[in-house]
Amino acid sequence: MGFWSFLIIFCFISFYVYWYSSTKALKFNANIKNGSKLPSLPSYYGTYSFFWLILPIFLILVTWFFFKPFFLDILLIKKIPSDFLTTFEGNPDMLVDTIKATNPEKFFPGTNPVIIESAKYFQNLKIISDSYVYIGTLLLGLIFSTFSLRKISVAFRARQAVEKTNVNLLILCSTIAIITTIGIIFSLIFEALRFFEKVPIFDFLLGITWSPQTAIREDQVASEGLFGAIPIFTGTLLITLIAMAVAIPIGLLSAIYLSEYAKPKIRATIKPILEILAGVPTVVYGFFAAITVGPFLKEIALFFGFSIASESALAAGGVMGIMIIPFISSLSDDVMSAVPQSMRDGSYAVGATKSETIKQVVLPAALPGVVAAILLAVSRAIGETMIVVMAAGISANLTMNPFESVTTVTVQIVTLLVGDQEFDSAKTLAAFALGITLFFLTLFLNLIALKIVRKYREKYE
Amino acid sequence: MEKTKIESKKISVFYGDKKALSGISLDIPEKRVTSLIGPSGCGKSTFLRCLNRMNDTIDICRIEGKILVDGEDIYDRKLDPVLLRARIGMVFQKPNPFPKSIFDNVAYGPKIHGLTNSKDELSELVESSLKKAGLFNEVKDRLNEPGTSLSGGQQQRLCIARAIAVSPEVILMDEPCSALDPIATAVIEELIDEISKNFTIVIVTHSMQQAARVSNQTAFFHMGNLIEVGKTDEVFSMPKEKKTQDYITGKIG
Amino acid sequence: MNNTEIIKKSLMKRHLAESRFKTYGILGIISATVFLIVILSTIFIEGKSAFKSTYIKLDVFFDPSIIDPDGTRNIDEIRFANYRKVIKNSLKNYFPEVTGKEEMKSLTELISSSEEENLMQAVLKNNDLIGANKKVWLKASSKIDIIHKNPEMKDLSESNRLISDKELEWFDKLTRNGDVKFSLNKIFFLKADSTEPEQAGILGSILGSFFTLVITLILSFPIAVAAGVFLEELAPKNRLTDIIEININNLAAVPSIIFGLLGLAIFLNVMHLPRSAPIVGGMVLALMTLPTIIIATRVSLKAVPPSIREAAVGLGATKFQSVIHHVLPLAIPGIATGTIIGMSRALGESAPLLLIGMVAFIVDIPGSFTDSATVLPVQIYLWKSTAARGFVELTAAGVIVLLTFLILMNALAIFVRNKFEKKW
Repeated sequence: MGFWSFLIIFCFISFYVYWYSSTKALKFNANIKNGSKLPSLPSYYGTYSFFWLILPIFLILVTWFFFKPFFLDILLIKKIPSDFLTTFEGNPDMLVDTIKATNPEKFFPGTNPVIIESAKYFQNLKIISDSYVYIGTLLLGLIFSTFSLRKISVAFRARQAVEKTNVNLLILCSTIAIITTIGIIFSLIFEALRFFEKVPIFDFLLGITWSPQTAIREDQVASEGLFGAIPIFTGTLLITLIAMAVAIPIGLLSAIYLSEYAKPKIRATIKPILEILAGVPTVVYGFFAAITVGPFLKEIALFFGFSIASESALAAGGVMGIMIIPFISSLSDDVMSAVPQSMRDGSYAVGATKSETIKQVVLPAALPGVVAAILLAVSRAIGETMIVVMAAGISANLTMNPFESVTTVTVQIVTLLVGDQEFDSAKTLAAFALGITLFFLTLFLNLIALKIVRKYREKYE
Repeated sequence: MEKTKIESKKISVFYGDKKALSGISLDIPEKRVTSLIGPSGCGKSTFLRCLNRMNDTIDICRIEGKILVDGEDIYDRKLDPVLLRARIGMVFQKPNPFPKSIFDNVAYGPKIHGLTNSKDELSELVESSLKKAGLFNEVKDRLNEPGTSLSGGQQQRLCIARAIAVSPEVILMDEPCSALDPIATAVIEELIDEISKNFTIVIVTHSMQQAARVSNQTAFFHMGNLIEVGKTDEVFSMPKEKKTQDYITGKIG
Repeated sequence: MNNTEIIKKSLMKRHLAESRFKTYGILGIISATVFLIVILSTIFIEGKSAFKSTYIKLDVFFDPSIIDPDGTRNIDEIRFANYRKVIKNSLKNYFPEVTGKEEMKSLTELISSSEEENLMQAVLKNNDLIGANKKVWLKASSKIDIIHKNPEMKDLSESNRLISDKELEWFDKLTRNGDVKFSLNKIFFLKADSTEPEQAGILGSILGSFFTLVITLILSFPIAVAAGVFLEELAPKNRLTDIIEININNLAAVPSIIFGLLGLAIFLNVMHLPRSAPIVGGMVLALMTLPTIIIATRVSLKAVPPSIREAAVGLGATKFQSVIHHVLPLAIPGIATGTIIGMSRALGESAPLLLIGMVAFIVDIPGSFTDSATVLPVQIYLWKSTAARGFVELTAAGVIVLLTFLILMNALAIFVRNKFEKKW
């Protein structure tokens, strides 16, 4: 049974279960001449039975979706003759991948017959296992909902049960956020710990040489690779600093103009224009930085008689700064607008000019919010990937010179993980060590910023 | 006869198309307390804010007529509102201390205007202003704490000290006690009485008793019109107008 | 000296400072706006040329001895025939002076190799072509296309010009005879990626984006709305709700690449879901989009006045009924707007997809949720990383396509907001 036929049958059964159950409830009510009728509307009894149909089916299907590939892999490996498994060049995972990628109808001549045989088996297995699961879940759901019919009685409050289920489903959906966070933390920690088994954590945090590439070929002398992350951290710091040097002044000045000087109409026009900057995909900025800004800076440098790297930190950081502008301007504008008018009035009333009022009253009052905006922007800059992947370098130079090429945490994660991966090599696992550093750093910044914003709101709203 | 400090001549105020005040002519005597009373929305606060051009900060607000301070038109193009506001201070309905220390709150005006030449001079000025506002003894040990750490009544007196520090000629007060409890109110009223020896004071209040207690002259506003103005005891004991009587006796308001 | 005098003295200076400060603010706004204009116009200028390309008209003889030597019209025979030779022969006729083997090779390179397949398709469709002579417009190769689009390059020295003097001479001859034209680059809109710039198209990645976003929408919309309804309307104030709320706010600010690591470690390595597939990409993006939609849902629920809830509850509805029957329908336009904006962000997102293998070089147009695919922004990244010169304009053209979709989606969001959203 394919997915679509399953879906159609499922819809029919659902309607039938709902209809049958509500009709039964209706009849139940009709049979009662005097005395109390059912405590809830018949449709609630229908919904109740429907829940007993859909929930088990849904639960099983989701579980099946996530475990099917894993399960099929195990069955497949069992099927392959063990001597072939060991003689196959490369590792068993690659053999499994090859079999999965082989189309038994259209294969290259000369493919090993065992592979074709296994591929046939695998394709069959996929279809058959799906059918079994579909039929099985439908039957199970039917059994459950049939049992639920027995509960139609005066003593059973279907509405309460249905609503309770509904609320529980909503709670379940809400907890996805927690599950995601837990998923992130666990997956990162698990892989990072495997990395720290191979490379001591202090070598990682304090080492000043980063050259993971040597670890690809195991026969090489320096097969260990060097995983000192300091150059990466300083590179990230440098690019973030450059981005902030662009974004903070422009963003803050724009915010001041928008919240204090601009008439409402102008504000309503300019604010969305600035926010377009945040809506442009980062890959576009990356392209702009690499194709336009990089060569442009290089030419300017040549004009003044010195040379800079074409993947200089300045190009990537500067363009990233442009992207960050609206993050600072938007939130700062909001917090400055939230400063009560009475405070400005107090300043005007002693004869202060507008700029004096802004500098000495509005900005100090809005300071926590502005700081939060900057923290969020920094966290954004540290985690930004595409701009630096496209416009910054790969080699880990330990320098704070903005004209040189540096690399960042995100660039390294992408470089280490894109392409062929062996999931046991220190090179691949290093990406997760970098990832967890990035996660906790940004988490720290975000939590502080969110806390400040929350406190600020309580103060003025 | 008292000297007239502020003279308003047929002042009308519009918010967009809405007329908020129509043709108010009112003389305010020097070094006296003038109170403006009337039901909410009668335009008394609007009138008060015209006197130091605080209405300038509202875009849609338009003003017709003339206001003369010491015979000088304050809506004259050549006149600088910054200078005007240094001469005519204001205290607001809700205490609005700046997010700064108590000292810096008071020092704010003198600093931006460059009124003092040295640090010592400044702290002297701050001290004397706080003394005039009757706050110095309560805060002398914590001048560096934020102004917002004070109680409501203290904050309002801090705002008065802030206004006094620039040595204005006139102090405008927009319902200065409406956010305070009765005890703090009594302290402020005493203070108003005290400082009226040196400053011309215009106070908007929603409380007739307060107007009766603190002011020498009372003006009654209703629906954007000035109904009656006169010596406070006369207005309250023998109002000339029917509307004033209705308001005082609680029939309208 | 009285105060007024003192103040008057410094007044000029203070007003100057005032206007200076205001100017700084205006400069801030102007520089941000200028950046935006420069970025967009640079990309437009770079990319607009990719929508057109150069075609060369040749008299093609569909030689039966090459295409169908046996005369059996066998499909496999026709399919695997040497069409390169067919093109080569017609070029030879056009340029009888070319003889050397090396020269002949570079002559054939005037024409894009994609045209071999096009000729084959034409023959398959119409067997009568075999043995016939026909004038055909063939796509020029990338380097010819570049020269045609940038005529100023002809003046460069041979080593800086991409093509040799000889090739330039041939191309000039074709131009003189009126056998060169400039028209819509159909391949760009109809094909997927390729190693040759003149054969690379955007359709594959558009469909990849489509499949990915469908998954994202299906997963994130119901979950996010459910979570938003619970948190805004039904949640008791307790620790769990607090933790959920902090989590959502934090997830909204977690770097996107972290979600890629999550997808790689859990979806690919633990669950063995297929690599490079839109279904996994969609799942990763759904996790990223959740906070956006949840927050939008909450904001629009909050905007519904409490009187409506009170009215429903006052008539005896439960809290749940009042929310589902009355509050939620009123909040739908706001939720829809937020969802569209979340989807447009997901469309522009690429970093996490790099990590789950959607960055592979894929020549086939994806047809389902489990096919290997790439998405629009990743395609842009891939083309940018390719060294060949012809890919630069393709990259910019890809950006233009991506921005067009984003503008359409945002316009739709604005339309929904203005048309359906109720102001209370």
